[in-house]
Amino acid sequence: MRSVVALAIITFKEGIRNRALFGIGLMALFLLGLNVSVAGFFMRDIGKVTVDMNLSALNFAGLLLVFFVAINLMAKDIDRKTIHLVLSKPISRSQYVWGKYGGILLFLSVSLAFLFLFSCLTIALLLALYPDYFGAFSWGQFVVAATFVLVKLAVLTAIVLFFSTITTSSLVTLIFSLGSYIAGVTIEEVVFYLKSDWATQERVVSESLRTVIDVLSYLLPNFTVFDFSLEAAHGLPIAFERIVLALGYAGGYSAILLLLAGFIFARREFN
Amino acid sequence: MVVVECDRVSKKYNTGLFKKRICAVQNLSFQVKEGTIYGLIGPNGAGKSSTIRMLLGLSRPTKGEVRFRGNVLNAVDLRAEIGYLPENPYLYDHLNLNELLAFSGEAARMEPAVYRLRGRELMARLDLLDAQKRPLRTFSKGMLQRAGICFALLHDPSIIVFDEPMSGLDPVGRKMVFDLVMELKQQGKTILFCSHILNDVERLCDRIGLIHKGQMVREFGREDFLQSASDAVFLLTDRLDESSQRALEPLIIQSRPEGEGTLLAVSVDRYLDVNACLQQKGIAVRGCRSEWVSLEDLFVHHIREHAPCAV
Repeated sequence: MRSVVALAIITFKEGIRNRALFGIGLMALFLLGLNVSVAGFFMRDIGKVTVDMNLSALNFAGLLLVFFVAINLMAKDIDRKTIHLVLSKPISRSQYVWGKYGGILLFLSVSLAFLFLFSCLTIALLLALYPDYFGAFSWGQFVVAATFVLVKLAVLTAIVLFFSTITTSSLVTLIFSLGSYIAGVTIEEVVFYLKSDWATQERVVSESLRTVIDVLSYLLPNFTVFDFSLEAAHGLPIAFERIVLALGYAGGYSAILLLLAGFIFARREFN
Repeated sequence: MVVVECDRVSKKYNTGLFKKRICAVQNLSFQVKEGTIYGLIGPNGAGKSSTIRMLLGLSRPTKGEVRFRGNVLNAVDLRAEIGYLPENPYLYDHLNLNELLAFSGEAARMEPAVYRLRGRELMARLDLLDAQKRPLRTFSKGMLQRAGICFALLHDPSIIVFDEPMSGLDPVGRKMVFDLVMELKQQGKTILFCSHILNDVERLCDRIGLIHKGQMVREFGREDFLQSASDAVFLLTDRLDESSQRALEPLIIQSRPEGEGTLLAVSVDRYLDVNACLQQKGIAVRGCRSEWVSLEDLFVHHIREHAPCAV
């Protein structure tokens, strides 16, 4: 456990001191600032637009952090053979995977917490400027939605680590992870469409393709499960069961991926 | 006691789909005894680094076994006994040396007070105290090499694997590392030393394995190449003709052709007699050598002689 924590700490420090982080942070802050300046154009929808823009900025910044910083935190170790030094210590391959995951998660949490703080300031400012248009807004729902942005990124990080263990290049990891993310965001809609009467009447999708998509829907992550932006923007209640289920799904999916990654990584040769 | 043992180890790499497999190491066997320094030498691509990677469990032998104290290397705990310095260590750019050593200590399950103290000792020994809080990306190549040595030695391992430890070091750094390796030997550590700088290998190692094209060409003991300690001097003269050779034979220990001349091993007691004989015959002495045969001579000789391995 000490090895895992030690590895997580150095991974976190490597990530948090990366210069790319400043660029991503500045861009996110720009988006949040933009929110303040353009909010007045939306009048009655100010509350909804503000929450939407804030969550989108958090989500976008988080994705950039995963795809441009987190991928490198693992891939650079392998590319530059730093992993040879690390694995010469009494650290098992699966401990390495879990340590890296912990470090990246900590890095994402701290980065997003910083952006979340600014996001809250933006909302508080607009709430003070236009109190009449934030009728249904609830801080609780906003916090839940923002937390699930992090949960989604935690699942995405597990996917990134999984692909890092089976590929030899960070570019291939990026392509596979990006592909999984796009598929994960859209798969639910595809499945709903296929199950709808519309699709049955049109018969544009063959049975075999339907089966493939059905199988894929179980394999691919369903990222829409973690999307609470609609509830946060409109002030709709969020069922406790849904939160528990989404957390359970994220934990289960990530754990399975990380166990698989550890298993594959233990068999990998470093030449 | 044998600490590290490579037993008929072979390693083949897949270089890609539909491509021929590369034989990096073939039927390689050697043993490193406790408290000794074993040097692994060979030209580029000989299979030294592949062998080290198998020793560390980073890759698996296609055939054969690597054993540590008689155990096959698979347990993670066994690595607590090993310190490893790779050639050109790539350390974490954004960490400083203190943080890197803290990681090394934590990974080796040392107490924080112990690894801090040991880290300071090593940094002082390798002249890195002033740079301990600087990010590693600002380190020069030699400093990174020394930082890598600190990282490898922090947990006081009993077996140390050095892959080109002198690479990138200036003369002061080289002397520092040389002295450190000698000190480690005196402490009874077992060291596997891999280098291209044959002079260092010759001075440091008790036993040397010459690898070429993945095979062990020859193993040398110190007696094979170090005779400077014996009471003989080695004179390089003009090439001797048959009559001169016959005249000198009773006076010298042995002779052999060396380039365009002849190298004579002369006992210190007979030096004046030999010198008089050479003067009498009009044979010029071109120089004096400290050794009968250098590791470099042996290296070049065996590499030229060795047939390529079948892949």
